[in-house]
Amino acid sequence: MMPGHIVRFAVAIVAFAILARLPVGLDQAFQFDAALALIWGFGILSLVLLTGYAGQVSLCQATFAGVAAYGAGMTVSSMHGGYLLGIVIGVVFATILGVIVGLPALRLHGITLAIVTLGIALVFDRYVFQDHIFDWFTGGTGGWQVTSADLLGIKVDSSQHLLAAYDVLLALFCLVSVLMVNLHQSGAGRRLRAIRDSEVAASTMGVNLTRYKLLAFAMSAGIAGLGGSFYPLIAGSVSPQPFWVFTSLQLAAIGVLMGVRYVPAAALGGLFMAVVPDVLTRYGHGTFMNRFNYDISFDWFQIAVGVLLILQLILLPDGVWGDMRAKLLHARGAAQRKPAREAPA
Amino acid sequence: MTMLRVRDVGMRFGGLVALQGVSLDLNRGEILGLIGPNGAGKTTLFNCISGLLNPTEGSIFFESRSLRFAPPHERARRGIARTFQNLQLWDSMTVLENLELPIDAAGNRNTLSDALGLPFSHYAERAAAERARAILHVLELDPFVNRLAGDLPAGIQRRVELGRAIAMRPKLVLLDEPAAGLDAGETEHLAELLRTVRERFHVSMLLVDHDMSLVMKVCDYIYVLDFGKVLARGKPAEVRNDSKVIAAYLGEASPELSESGAETVEEPTIIVRSSGPVHDGESAEAAATVVPAASSETESQVLAARGEPLLEVTGLAAGYGRLEVIRDIALNVHAGEVVACIGANGAGKTTTLRAISGVIHARSGRVRFAGRNITGSRPEAIARMGLAHIPEGRGLFPRLSVEDTLRLALDSTGSKAHIEAAYDVFPRLQQRRRQAVGTLSGGEQQMVAMARAILAQPRLLMLDEMSQGLAPTIVQQLFQMIHVFRDQGIAVLLVEQFVQSALQVADRAYIFEHGSIAHEASAAELRRDRNLISGSYLGSAAAGEETAIEVAANGNGHVVHPELMETVSMRMPAEIKRALEERAEREGRPAGAIALELLEEVKK
Repeated sequence: MMPGHIVRFAVAIVAFAILARLPVGLDQAFQFDAALALIWGFGILSLVLLTGYAGQVSLCQATFAGVAAYGAGMTVSSMHGGYLLGIVIGVVFATILGVIVGLPALRLHGITLAIVTLGIALVFDRYVFQDHIFDWFTGGTGGWQVTSADLLGIKVDSSQHLLAAYDVLLALFCLVSVLMVNLHQSGAGRRLRAIRDSEVAASTMGVNLTRYKLLAFAMSAGIAGLGGSFYPLIAGSVSPQPFWVFTSLQLAAIGVLMGVRYVPAAALGGLFMAVVPDVLTRYGHGTFMNRFNYDISFDWFQIAVGVLLILQLILLPDGVWGDMRAKLLHARGAAQRKPAREAPA
Repeated sequence: MTMLRVRDVGMRFGGLVALQGVSLDLNRGEILGLIGPNGAGKTTLFNCISGLLNPTEGSIFFESRSLRFAPPHERARRGIARTFQNLQLWDSMTVLENLELPIDAAGNRNTLSDALGLPFSHYAERAAAERARAILHVLELDPFVNRLAGDLPAGIQRRVELGRAIAMRPKLVLLDEPAAGLDAGETEHLAELLRTVRERFHVSMLLVDHDMSLVMKVCDYIYVLDFGKVLARGKPAEVRNDSKVIAAYLGEASPELSESGAETVEEPTIIVRSSGPVHDGESAEAAATVVPAASSETESQVLAARGEPLLEVTGLAAGYGRLEVIRDIALNVHAGEVVACIGANGAGKTTTLRAISGVIHARSGRVRFAGRNITGSRPEAIARMGLAHIPEGRGLFPRLSVEDTLRLALDSTGSKAHIEAAYDVFPRLQQRRRQAVGTLSGGEQQMVAMARAILAQPRLLMLDEMSQGLAPTIVQQLFQMIHVFRDQGIAVLLVEQFVQSALQVADRAYIFEHGSIAHEASAAELRRDRNLISGSYLGSAAAGEETAIEVAANGNGHVVHPELMETVSMRMPAEIKRALEERAEREGRPAGAIALELLEEVKK
């Protein structure tokens, strides 16, 4: 292994050690938020790979997560498989869908690709997750209940299961993050970035566009699916609501907000997306200075995301993490040394 | 021996025939030139060979295998690399990464092993980086290794593109206008470099360029394309003397060789200016801006009488990001004067124009135009005052028709001129008025840009690299237009690579060096005393007369033996290759010659 790889693994292990015990003292709801943050973190991580590295637009990342969640739920509830098998099947389903979505991307770019992926998100939202024809897959209107699920000794009905699931998710998140940074700095990552910068040049320099675009979509869908397949475990059931169209849009918006080219932005984004709405609904109402009544509901969160996105595009064009990192590097005088290789770590 | 065989290739886009029955042969080790006027189909042929387009008829063979069903990346793997006329580097990657990619793109490395950082990937990474550095060293690009490709000036980017093409270990490199935007000295250097590259990396080349000095100097054989057909072919000396070629491509006589060509071009008439006051301040838009409510003609005369320049720039500094490109620029342009800015690439000429027209912000200094301080004004306000800027690359909207483009100019500047005025100056545009600008040839596009600029009835016209990528006949016509502008009282500030042509039309010239002005002199003086311009510039004027003796010679002055190229491009173990190269370095002879000698011995 190269020194860079060792450093990255060390950073990941330290991050895991610090974050693993973080939600211990919190109540159930916040522990759920912590685990949910990681699931959305995976969603944004998948966008980092697809949009940040390979330059492809997608507005159906939550659909990938949803397909994986239903796949896992179906395996556990309907086929009585173990949860581990559920995760594998969920990720496989998501990856297959990723390849299918990737096919139009071989011909389409930018805004047209965005519309097509948005269409796919809509179709899955309306006609798969909520339609009776697919009851075998979605478990009907009630979704799947996975109250008896068991993953590596994590039982859904135990009081500790949220914390345990959080730790497993966190470990996976750290691992995938390191792999993604490695990928960015290696030959395969360079090929993806070459597609982002100039497709003509990439193809005439020996990059097989078909292969690498489909690979990017497949890997991205797989990553989103890995997070999504944990959803039944932490929530105890699956329903269409968390994976509807708007979640996909939110993932894209928050991904861009945090810096879609950088892996750590995914963690920030996931946290933002899971925790802030919950905090708002819990503490967002009351009386200020015994005089003014206020009620900041979840709707306010969506408006806030929109406003923040506009502000970010003006003030921090490379995303919150991207510009923070640039400022840090600049402050450290890294500008005089060799300019950064655009390392996302 | 034939490496690339093109047979009866035809290409049509809808009704447009871009190529028709083109056949071409390229031998191993050869540098083949492909020349022809704008729109002759050279880049289309390149796209057909590199696989970005599939020809509608005919076939292309590379090393005796058909390329018909091979996608671009497959052709790359078989050994065809290319560069692009409009640079296509991966801008957000470093120069090193730009070269590493093609090195390992051909080998199918495992994505998973890359992500895990397994030893196999590690080894391949190191090998790629080492080879990339070696190539960058040969191309004298070491200082830029870790710079982002997008941040580099165009001239350096061209060299990086060449390096990237070589990095793929190609057998054939397609070079699409490698000298575009380079000055004469840099072109000279490029010619050297191409020979070095052929010697060191054992590649054949197919070269498209408008710079005849480069083509004549480095090519072994030349094909001339015109209207999608092969017009002529032959050795450089033959092609140069071919009357058909001269007529089609160089005009009646090469502009670099004689000035008589200028007289043969019909002088167009210009009826741009309306007789009444031009900027009369009646239009609401004009009133909202800082346009003075006086006729431009009279004001110009007043200014001229007072001796105050139309444009006065003092202590101007500007740049991009952390980079300061120009500093302490002081220049002035009087009404009705033609002033040229000349200097090497990256000397800051374009940046100066951009800072004057308000496209980028001046960091310090002052710009006065027509008696008003316009420093920091918005570009559209400056444009309405009568300062027109035609940027490098022309800044046209490719999907708009010619007529719409011109109409847009009238609407947005609030000018009172008539569109017919532009057609009077450029009759060719009237025939093409319904055509989308993007489908016009380069010369016609430049005409549209100029027509658009003069419709705004400017007092000063700034032309940036007007002749870039255009055939000499068209260039000559465009320069003729500058005379016409001057006769109409429009001042012209000109940035130009064709120094001699620029000095023909200019009254004065500023010579830029490293972001500031080194000299100022009258054009006549500069024409007389050539030493005032750096010697590198004059290469272009003299180059046309040089004979083609060196053509077959490589960088070391040795004649390239066709058999030798064959031998050297054989696959052989790395140790033997290295031993050969070491010996070659010791004895100061090309490695190929030593290899041939050894072969002879073995045969005995």
